[in-house]
Amino acid sequence: MVDGMWEQHGEDNRLRLLCSGDHEAFTWFVDKYKETVFLCCRRLGLREDEVEDVASETFMAAYKGLSRYSGRSELSTWLWSIAYRKGIDCLRRNRREWQLEDEQENEIAAGREDGPTVVTEGKETEQVVWGAVERLPRLWKVAVILHYREEKGIADIAKIMDTRENTVKTYLFRGRQKLREMLSEAVGEDCNAGK
Amino acid sequence: MPANRPNQGNFDEILGRALRRHSEPVPADFTERMLRQARELDEKRIISRVIWQGRLALAGTILLGVAAIVGIVALPGRIGAVLRSVGVGFTDRGGALLDRFPQAVGAVRNEWQLYAVLAVLVGFAVYFFLDMLLSDRARMA
Repeated sequence: MVDGMWEQHGEDNRLRLLCSGDHEAFTWFVDKYKETVFLCCRRLGLREDEVEDVASETFMAAYKGLSRYSGRSELSTWLWSIAYRKGIDCLRRNRREWQLEDEQENEIAAGREDGPTVVTEGKETEQVVWGAVERLPRLWKVAVILHYREEKGIADIAKIMDTRENTVKTYLFRGRQKLREMLSEAVGEDCNAGK
Repeated sequence: MPANRPNQGNFDEILGRALRRHSEPVPADFTERMLRQARELDEKRIISRVIWQGRLALAGTILLGVAAIVGIVALPGRIGAVLRSVGVGFTDRGGALLDRFPQAVGAVRNEWQLYAVLAVLVGFAVYFFLDMLLSDRARMA
């Protein structure tokens, strides 16, 4: 019913209603982006009880800030940056270690112990790929998801992750390399064809 | 750098396709909860606005009362002169408005403290009135 109503509205009108605090527009907004926000929170490594809290905080912060949304960046990029910042804040608030280099080394070491992923019968390629992505260090993981799933450019990812573009390129390059390594046996020739 | 060309090669295609197909589990009532929280937030905003309006109104009333008492007790001559000049300005229909302008500026300059207090009080009254009018309209819309 809500979808039917929204089909009659143009994108600009929808955004205008959303920014003016319209509740139906906010319902559409939450429905459209809730998966994205949960995805971001979980990939950052938050505990399941924290994921819901951070997702709620993200949407409430967006609701408060929508009147000031300038439209300079895409709505999804703007929401991603809020979710990412809230997720990192939650990790820091709970005094969890946030030493990136050490963490990446440890996680990569753990990944190496697991060895390459092997496709078993009946297992979907998508699941295998997703499983491999899950084994990446959290920042690489977020960068890979933003680039390959959300189709964000380097500049947008840098804005979301509040880092330099070169750092994002490094995350993506290493993430891709590691994934290729992990998936070489899983997707075989398909994977190697891209080398 | 390969990361800049995500759609080149089979590997990138497989990766992109697999990630896009993934669906993230979300609690079923999440949207309703968010909507409820948004409504609560709006109510809190309105209540806080009303509280601030009340505080401002109270402060304005106290200020006006104190200003009136101080004026009457400490400066009865000045207050009388200001009120008389305002009264003359309003009732003097014969004189041209432009002729009276320099006179009015002179009167304001001489008694600027009192006019400043009056301006603040009038400004407050106008703001308060407009705010009530506009927020009522916004709520009705």
